[in-house]
Amino acid sequence: MNIRAVRVEDLAGMQDCNLHNLPENYTMKYYLYHALSWPSLSYVAEDHNGRIVGYILAKMEEVDEQEGQPATNHVPHGHVTSISVMRSYRRLGLAKKLMLQSQEAMSSIYRAAFVSLHVRKSNRAALSLYRDTLGFTVKNIEEKYYADGEDAYAMQLTFEH
Amino acid sequence: MAPPTLAQKDKKLFADLLSQYENRQLTKGRKTADQILKKYPEHGETMCMKGLILVHLGQRDEGINLVKEGMRKDLSSHICWHVWALIQKSEHKYEDALKSYIQALKFDKDNFNILRDTAVLQTQTRQFEGLVETRHNLLHLRPYNRHHWVGLAVAYQLNGNLPEAKQVLEYIEGFLRSVGSYDVEFSELLMYHIRILEDMGDFQSAVDMLESHDRTKGGSVLNRMAGTEVKARLLAKLKESNADDEQKTAWTEQADAAWRWLLSQNADGYEYYKGFLANQGIDLANVTDENREKALEMLHGYFNAQFATAPRRLALHVATGQEFKDLIKPYLTNALTKGIPSLFADLKPLYGDLVKRQIIEDTVEEFRATLATSPPSTGDSIEPTTYLWALYLLAQHHSYLGRHKQALEILDVAITHTPTLPELYMTRARVLKRAGDPHGAARAMNDARLLDGQDRFINTKTGKYLLRAGMVNEADAIFSKFTRGGASAAVDLEEMQAMHYLVEQGDSYRRAGKLNLALKKYYVIQKVFESFREDQYEFHQYSVRKTILNVYTEMLKWEDNVRSHPGFIHAAVATVQIWVALYDDATLGPKTTASDVSSKKAINKAKKAARKGQPEADGANSKKATATQSEDKGLDPPRPKDDDPEGLKLVLAEDPLERADKYLTGLSELVPQNMDICFAIYDVAIRRKKYLQAVRMLTRAHSLDSEHPDLHSRIVHLRNTVSSLPEPIPAPVGPVLAESIASLLPAEVSLELFNSQYLQKHSSLPMAIVAHAKVARILKAPQDEIDSILFTVLKEPVQLDHEAAFVVLSYLKEMKSPRSEEFRIACNDRFELSTLFRSDEEIAALQRSFTESGESLADGEALETVI
Repeated sequence: MNIRAVRVEDLAGMQDCNLHNLPENYTMKYYLYHALSWPSLSYVAEDHNGRIVGYILAKMEEVDEQEGQPATNHVPHGHVTSISVMRSYRRLGLAKKLMLQSQEAMSSIYRAAFVSLHVRKSNRAALSLYRDTLGFTVKNIEEKYYADGEDAYAMQLTFEH
Repeated sequence: MAPPTLAQKDKKLFADLLSQYENRQLTKGRKTADQILKKYPEHGETMCMKGLILVHLGQRDEGINLVKEGMRKDLSSHICWHVWALIQKSEHKYEDALKSYIQALKFDKDNFNILRDTAVLQTQTRQFEGLVETRHNLLHLRPYNRHHWVGLAVAYQLNGNLPEAKQVLEYIEGFLRSVGSYDVEFSELLMYHIRILEDMGDFQSAVDMLESHDRTKGGSVLNRMAGTEVKARLLAKLKESNADDEQKTAWTEQADAAWRWLLSQNADGYEYYKGFLANQGIDLANVTDENREKALEMLHGYFNAQFATAPRRLALHVATGQEFKDLIKPYLTNALTKGIPSLFADLKPLYGDLVKRQIIEDTVEEFRATLATSPPSTGDSIEPTTYLWALYLLAQHHSYLGRHKQALEILDVAITHTPTLPELYMTRARVLKRAGDPHGAARAMNDARLLDGQDRFINTKTGKYLLRAGMVNEADAIFSKFTRGGASAAVDLEEMQAMHYLVEQGDSYRRAGKLNLALKKYYVIQKVFESFREDQYEFHQYSVRKTILNVYTEMLKWEDNVRSHPGFIHAAVATVQIWVALYDDATLGPKTTASDVSSKKAINKAKKAARKGQPEADGANSKKATATQSEDKGLDPPRPKDDDPEGLKLVLAEDPLERADKYLTGLSELVPQNMDICFAIYDVAIRRKKYLQAVRMLTRAHSLDSEHPDLHSRIVHLRNTVSSLPEPIPAPVGPVLAESIASLLPAEVSLELFNSQYLQKHSSLPMAIVAHAKVARILKAPQDEIDSILFTVLKEPVQLDHEAAFVVLSYLKEMKSPRSEEFRIACNDRFELSTLFRSDEEIAALQRSFTESGESLADGEALETVI
């Protein structure tokens, strides 16, 4: 599978992939917002026919210029809005590869201090990927984070500069 | 009549009104407006402002009327025009709003806010010449703000004035040098500049610029990946120029270093391998015997790059013969041991090479034979799962090659071996689908779902398979398991722009003859694409401000082409076919809807669900409106209530062809290579008596595939239609048309001869036989003759598959042929795995048995896969 940075024409495929895989979905505008604000942080995995089979949609949490107020966390850091791989393309390590590319960009381009993400408490496979393979740690539990009432683990990984 | 002039203190009052509106002090503003109007009831500007405030307060109609009235009183006020433009803009009438802004500028040419909005609208409507002028004016007003310089550069670029854009950028960079070296926006600006140099063909300057801003040398291009990609691409372009050999060698070396660095960062980037090899003169898509060895050697260098799979996979593509054999075996072993479900999808593209295909089959069969005879698992051995995945791969392999029975047998063995692996049932579903059994397929997919109810992917597939089997309600129940807060699938998936769902749903209704509901879904798809077009609006300001421009200009291009998306094309073609069918036979519409009780029930249910699912849309809001009259509702019109949710009025529209034509707007230019669009446009044009457009589409289709069955019948249809006109078409159209038709079908050739020649040429192709029959029908052949033609698909040497057979059956039914039942039974005997040719009662029973099997819709336990 080919791994590369996102292009605008991938966003529809990304949206399709997300709708197939996850219960948290977004309209096109939200994908555009990510791609047009942080074009180097989102990546896709595509098969031989150019179909998007996995993606990472990511952003920076920065100082909010308009408000002139720093965001909750004072240091700029990356945040993974959504990451998923089509079921029929799992066990290829795609999620890990996507994550690593995005992390590298967060750290090198935006000087992010760390990256954060949320994961469903019940999603053992994802939890194990983040914690055991990628080295994330659980920062806290956000109760009823998901629309269906499930709790989320808020996880973080600090970058070494 | 000139508008009344306000006295000095009333002028002050009017200024208050403006600032109250700016600060959204709406009730105060309304009071101030009333105060002015009491004294000057004819004051247009105040009327407009009050109207605008009323719109914000939720009294839209009243407000708009007042604005219109105010405008009539004072057509030379920029305020009146501005207010009107705001309202048009809120209704997404961008062209009209722009005209109003231009009017406003006539009376106040230096109004910053109006200019800024004008620039946005000119970008939205792609009026780039005007945009350049507006950006100039803005810059003139605020020359110290760098965003206005950036805006001007972008305007020049969009208008195709690249040298001017470049000049502006050089100027900006001049005064930005003091910003300090670490600035993401500045980095993006440089990348934009480099892109403009590239587009100007000035590759050397672009490379020089990249080098002078190289981050490793303290430069300001922060995105090394993007910078290096561009550099490698530029060097490749430079190499195509007429430089001397020494220079070319230097470029090759530089490019080599660039590609190697990129691969060190991402060893799974296909494009990097492509560029890496191309730099050495090797076209990865067409490796030759001369350079094969070198290509493999270069790929081999990355075999052990951390985690990378791409180089090994690409090597399979490049290698042949023994080399391929040597590579495929470890590749398969590794994947089967790990249990990688995508292995078949990964290998499939190699199947174009029949030798490779056979080697893969033989190798996997060998595995299977060895593993099957090895002693049964003792618990910790690795073989049982490898054996299972080998079976899984073989099943997919045989199914792909049309060996459905063989595939099913293998899957039975695999399922007996491990009954808890959802993938096996998913594949079973796929095999059954391919074999023409949508009902069995849906059941098998649901079996997979029951093994892992937490997985949305299988859930989606199950819903989709149910739609294919014509079970809309059951599908909705499945889809709804993953929608937000239990919202109905229709509401949530529409809102989330789920194309896969909308397309399948529309198609399902269409297959069931519920044209009203099918149309509704296809129009939702159109709406989704309209909203994609809307989405760009906010970015015209945002991206210029952020100075992230390469991706922004890419986005503009994407927006211009967004309707070439396969989902949109599919919906457009289907919609047109429905409208055309309704035009030809108006009874198709109402009949199917009135008599269909079950669909009505479904509709009622959907309606109820839809009402529940829209909390803020209308109902709830209006309640709030009475409570808080002073609340700002914004300028956007409320979402209009759908008073025809079942499409029952829609399907009876009196202008089906005009509606069809509208859906097709622009597609002929957007996807000129698409045959289906050519045919769709033809079908509408010929009925609207737009003969030149009709013949143009067939000529285009002819240049794409002159033997296409759907083209054959249309060529005859066209000549027959034109020649049976009561009056010949006068010049200049008539002769041009005749000439164009003659180039498709020589005038001296009779339609009968043309038709029989076509059949002779393609006598073994079922779709060609259908086209031949359609032409016979146009030529008024009796039904029994048409039937006999169609029945030849059942004879040797025709290669009939169940899909083509189903088309023939549908056509027979459409003509109400007395022999359609006979044909159905013949096919039912012939395609034993398929359920497509069962009787209506049998199909109804199949659908019922799914619903009645009680547990089939229950939630699956989240089973940990055992392996």
